[in-house]
Amino acid sequence: MRSLWPSLLIAAAVLWAGSTTEVDLARLAASGVRMGDFLSRMMPPDLTIMPELGKGLAETLRIAILGTLGAVVLSAGLGVMAAETVVGPLIWRPTRALLALIRAIPLILVAMLMVAAVGLGPLPGALAITFHATGMLGKFYAEAIDGVERGPVLALEGTGATRLQRLRFGIWPQMAPVVLRDTIFRFELNLRESLILGIVGAGGIGFYIQTYVRSFQYEKAATVTLAIAALVLLIEALNGILRRRVS
Amino acid sequence: MTCAAELGGVSHRHAGGTKKALCGIDLCVESGAVLALIGPSGAGKSTLLSLLGAQIFGWQGKASVLGKPLDPQRPPARAQRVETGFIFQDFALIGRATVRQNVLNGRLGRTAKLASLFGRFSEADEAAADVALADAGIADLARQRTDRISGGQRQRVAIARCLAQEPQLILADEPVSNLDPVRAEAILRLISSTAAARGATVIFTSHQPELALRFASRVVGLKGGRIALDTDPGALSPADIATLYQGDPAAQNLLKAG
Repeated sequence: MRSLWPSLLIAAAVLWAGSTTEVDLARLAASGVRMGDFLSRMMPPDLTIMPELGKGLAETLRIAILGTLGAVVLSAGLGVMAAETVVGPLIWRPTRALLALIRAIPLILVAMLMVAAVGLGPLPGALAITFHATGMLGKFYAEAIDGVERGPVLALEGTGATRLQRLRFGIWPQMAPVVLRDTIFRFELNLRESLILGIVGAGGIGFYIQTYVRSFQYEKAATVTLAIAALVLLIEALNGILRRRVS
Repeated sequence: MTCAAELGGVSHRHAGGTKKALCGIDLCVESGAVLALIGPSGAGKSTLLSLLGAQIFGWQGKASVLGKPLDPQRPPARAQRVETGFIFQDFALIGRATVRQNVLNGRLGRTAKLASLFGRFSEADEAAADVALADAGIADLARQRTDRISGGQRQRVAIARCLAQEPQLILADEPVSNLDPVRAEAILRLISSTAAARGATVIFTSHQPELALRFASRVVGLKGGRIALDTDPGALSPADIATLYQGDPAAQNLLKAG
């Protein structure tokens, strides 16, 4: 009967989640009307705020670019320190644990802490992105280094190549496409995640979502939503093209 | 007579292996020799070559290359490594780099360390690479990416890289295994004549005894990690070869073909 356990567990979890009095079907039905009212108040989107939004989006883009740059620099160092084939376990094990810990902290939490530490604006946003993205990028870089074929690198050692020459002519050409692909992927994530940073005061377009929703200016909030969706789709398309060129 | 490579009571067991790959090998390969290592699969030919090329460690005994002792635990210094060229059975090339860059990589031990990191090689390095490309008959492939050419062409890139390195000792593991008979002969002739012109020594392994006989000045047969025969190629009889390969079913066809 062991095979029944997963089903029972899932059923119990769903029942438990739905058993709260705050979520019932009557309320769900009633909220349909409110939802319709809310959506109608978003129409038509107020396009007069586009110039201001443009500035917000540009700031978000800047945060994502600077944050990614910071993460690339940190990850280059930490990636080497987390690579099993380059350093001993006394170094790569703690480095990997550190990267896992960094990944475990949600971005929004990091952003709130950064705002508390350095004040409002795009700087804490870029710092938060740098910190958060390093957790993933450092691990990816380490895996790129470890994925390199050893034979050709040993062959270069045999020709008399120094450690740096082996890195430059043996390891780097093999890992470069992987690093480029991972970095582009992480930049896309950074851009998506940085859109909400403004909600906690860490700069960018998120600030406007916060302002317009709180002040019931839903037709302006609708414009922000559309602008963000357009930007994300655009970046996704650009990244698709870039990635195809890399491989 | 000086030994370009010398082994005294060298034994080695691969990590996790139950049998010794090499058992008490004593050998002096005289300077300027072209030595062919023959023997059935698993006889220890590649192990012996890798040991001299400082690619395997943890062996017992004494070994020296070009008059300098090998450390059984770590690779030798740069100045010593550059004098030993190795042609790998699996080529060990950088697939994403061009053919020319792979050949230039053979110069890394001789070129200026810092400038090379920025992709700058001296005129002498560039010239050596071009000569090696031409000698190996792959000058027309120079700008191609190495993972886009055939196996036989890659083998010649690996050989060109070794020639560009201008080593005093060439260790070649099955250097012509992927080439047709005409090309195989041309490449072996190239390796031995280049070595002769520079006074370098060659040790190569081969599964084709008849080729080995044609180009070697000395033939050493390994079996079960021991030296089973060591002779002048002229004095080697088909019976000797048959005895050496006895019990190796894979070799029967080769013998017939030879």
